[in-house]
Amino acid sequence: MIAARDVLLSLFVVMVSFGSGQAAGVKAKAEVSCSATPKPLEYDCTIKLSDPRSGAALTGLEVTVGADMPSMPMAHNVKPAKAMHGNEPGTYRARIKLEMHGDWVVKVDLVGPVRDRIVKSMRFEPRP
Amino acid sequence: MDDHLTGILSNIGVISFVALSAYLLLLTGEISFGQQAFFAIGAYTAGIVTAMWQLPFWLGLGAGAAAGGAAALFVGLPTLRLHGLQFAIATLAFAEAVRILFELFRYQVMRDGEPVGPNGIEGFPNIRYIFENDVSATQFMSIIYGLLGATLFGFFLLERSRLGVAFRMIGQDDLLAAAQGVPVFRVKLIAACLAGAIAGLGGGLYAHLTTYVEPAIFDVMLGVHSLAYGLIGGLGTAFGPLLGVAIDIGLLESTRWFAGYRMIVFGGLVAVLLIVRPRGLLDERLVHRIRRIVSRRPPPAPASATILGEESS
Repeated sequence: MIAARDVLLSLFVVMVSFGSGQAAGVKAKAEVSCSATPKPLEYDCTIKLSDPRSGAALTGLEVTVGADMPSMPMAHNVKPAKAMHGNEPGTYRARIKLEMHGDWVVKVDLVGPVRDRIVKSMRFEPRP
Repeated sequence: MDDHLTGILSNIGVISFVALSAYLLLLTGEISFGQQAFFAIGAYTAGIVTAMWQLPFWLGLGAGAAAGGAAALFVGLPTLRLHGLQFAIATLAFAEAVRILFELFRYQVMRDGEPVGPNGIEGFPNIRYIFENDVSATQFMSIIYGLLGATLFGFFLLERSRLGVAFRMIGQDDLLAAAQGVPVFRVKLIAACLAGAIAGLGGGLYAHLTTYVEPAIFDVMLGVHSLAYGLIGGLGTAFGPLLGVAIDIGLLESTRWFAGYRMIVFGGLVAVLLIVRPRGLLDERLVHRIRRIVSRRPPPAPASATILGEESS
């Protein structure tokens, strides 16, 4: 019983300390564009990351790209793909495979010197 | 832990709240297609509190749960006098009305030179509390499961309380419950408010997990799923809806065995289970049997055997 009480107390302390944290985030600005590949439902996405204040390219980050269908949250989502560094500084490329065409929310997760998530609503159409 | 796995487990945890919310109403015999509305109200409220008003996370979650409960009270007062299909349609209509209201809802403030807040159909991005406060994905998952554990503990206590018994009595036969002196409408209203608060709490967690919300997320699909989780997993225990969520998101979605056909498989699974096990996998009978095995109590002897025993002695 004492152990259970200790666990609950610890959980409470962790929760309280978590809830009263100080804001320390650095926000990233992202331009995301995706184009259809010859393979059906596969898209190449290019992400250009920069610091919103200075405009400097954000480099040295681990970037993953996922997607979620807003009309079916958590039902149709894409396994996040790790992005490769592009030719220009702050540019990353990733290929995502969707389950169907339509409106998707692309989620770009950044880990490293800047930790952030950028969300963009996009419409994915078949290749013309 | 792998980020993708953490994401799936977090999704299972968050969606379990809305599943538990629908389950609570199912206990009282009411089918609600509208629990996603309280989930939405909780998500927007918690997002406004933390992202716009810059108040602590726990206040945001509390406000989300309170808003969900208050909205359920508001809807419950006129609709809980309805029964069966009428109640189900009323909850669906309310949920759609809420979704359309969020499509029209615009309320933004400037933060760091950028507008933050709900912007109609474009949604409400930048609910970045966990990133601004350097909370890792694993830490946030722990918070989700801590709160889910607390909610399940609440269900555990509820099942053993007079209120829990009243819920099940009404669920079995509300006329009979009323004849036994149970204030049916008041008890149903309590169930609706608790269910709304649970959904609102889940909504607050969802908003902070995904960092964005938009009205399209809270459409009827989410309501149907939350109801189906209880029907798949079982109505015998609060673990039933959680089992339903684990089967859908944990097994079907994460393994991707059926790819784009997953929704068809899910629909088929619901249909088959409703025929084979109308009260889900963990129904009352199975839960009772499990409890008896766990407590190692011998099954009660049939009445005839007892009489025979008495005769022989």
